[in-house]
Amino acid sequence: MSDKAIVVNNVRKTFKLNTSGAASIKTALLWWKRRKYQTLDVLRGVSFEVGHGECVAVVGRNGAGKSTLLGLLARIYRPDSGTIQINGRVAPLLELGAGFHPDLSGAENIIFNAVILGLTRAEAIRRTPEIVAFSELGDQVYAPVRTYSSGMVARLGFAIAVHVDADILIVDEVLSVGDFEFQRKSFGKIEEFRNKGGTILLVSHHAEAMRKIADRCVWIQHGEVHMEGTPDEILPAYLAKSESDLRGSPPGPVKIEGPDLGSA
Amino acid sequence: MLAELKELWSFRELLYTMVQRDIRIRYKNSILGFFWSFLNPLATTLVMTVVFGKLLNNDVKNYSAYILSAYLPYVFFQSSVLDSSQSILSSIQLVKKIYFPRELLPLSLVISNFIHLLLGFFVFFLLLLLNYLINPGQIPFRLTTIYLPILLVISFMLSLGMSLLISALNTFYEDVKFVMSVALYLLLFLCPVMYFIENIADNPAVLRHPLWFKLYNLNPVADLCVAYRKILLAPTDVAISGSIAKAHPMPLPWMWVAYSAVFSFLVLIFGYSVFNRLKWRFVERT
Repeated sequence: MSDKAIVVNNVRKTFKLNTSGAASIKTALLWWKRRKYQTLDVLRGVSFEVGHGECVAVVGRNGAGKSTLLGLLARIYRPDSGTIQINGRVAPLLELGAGFHPDLSGAENIIFNAVILGLTRAEAIRRTPEIVAFSELGDQVYAPVRTYSSGMVARLGFAIAVHVDADILIVDEVLSVGDFEFQRKSFGKIEEFRNKGGTILLVSHHAEAMRKIADRCVWIQHGEVHMEGTPDEILPAYLAKSESDLRGSPPGPVKIEGPDLGSA
Repeated sequence: MLAELKELWSFRELLYTMVQRDIRIRYKNSILGFFWSFLNPLATTLVMTVVFGKLLNNDVKNYSAYILSAYLPYVFFQSSVLDSSQSILSSIQLVKKIYFPRELLPLSLVISNFIHLLLGFFVFFLLLLLNYLINPGQIPFRLTTIYLPILLVISFMLSLGMSLLISALNTFYEDVKFVMSVALYLLLFLCPVMYFIENIADNPAVLRHPLWFKLYNLNPVADLCVAYRKILLAPTDVAISGSIAKAHPMPLPWMWVAYSAVFSFLVLIFGYSVFNRLKWRFVERT
């Protein structure tokens, strides 16, 4: 099956919601009496494929299950049922600079993050100058990360992720980092990655950007694949639907977003 | 479990980086750096030597060496488990964003504690040498020191197994950490660190009820403390409370070493399988 970069087959994911907050033995014992928690079916049988060198954009409203899907592809979650096959090395850009340690310098964090993403130490050390140059941090890279601005952290995170020779990039709304100039540069880097035959799966709300780089769109609604096709087919339909949702009945009770559960 | 071990092997570069990072962070903001890792064992040994050696007049030559030889492995176990208990939670932001084998978090902490243990033994031998140079007498180093690697391997398995178990459980129930910090503190009294095993074995009260001694020996950390002390230092007579004659040192009980080896191995297997069962749920913790 290695003719495809990503094969997602009938994947389901349900989250259990614990309404009481604290994780403690006390809560567990209280639950014992009336064990009830809400479940949330975030993904209900999603299937799609991404070929090598393809760029697929996933669209959908907040809470449709996009970020959960990306989390599954990045192996942060395991599906409850169904299978996910990935052929190639994945660099997930889910949250830039998530793994940085504030007390270590940018340079030390480069090594650590690059090794997590699959480089060897030697390779990571060799790449460092290139990464530093791309991130435009200059000598600041020797200062502890806690002294960085959020833009600097994001720039460094992005620079690392695109320099680890991944085969597949998984991108979650991170193309809007840094100032205009840096955005242009990171966009260029993504396109360069594509031209070299890399596979990209991205989530974005930025229609213009998706039209520019995506070959195909997958529209996810209520945890299922609603439509699949070229950006020109999907995006107008998706935008029209979003607009009619907005104009139509006032938004009902706010749905809890799947991807944010963990951090809540 | 085999598949997991194979994957772990493929992440060995990351493990190396994590251990290095951990050691660096620990001493990043302190001037004396690595010295602090010896401060705790040395200060503890000093106080125990004063109290038990001088004030309680326990007439044993080189008392502090006997304490340090058992305190180092005890502290290794204690701090490995305590450090790892928080390891998943303190890196939860990383765990939520990037995949890597989760067991690397406790494993890297156990390894960096193990490095401290090795350095601790290095200082221990240095102190023995220093003491010998100041008061020459019997050569303090013993041939049985060659067994040290065996004991180190057992200690490592035990600490790692416990650390995996505790770190996984503490991720869901943070009470575990508090229970463990009390339990590990009490463990110090249940190990022959500030006293000798002969104090217990030859105590008339214990001799009348041998079951107590058997129970005492079920604790693998205590057995290991005895073994470390016996292989590293010369046997010494010990004064026993409630009896006039001093107790002669007992030989190294290899049976206990074998018991603690088997026990530690089982703890490791059990701890790792519990960890593997729970590790996918770490991110979904509510």
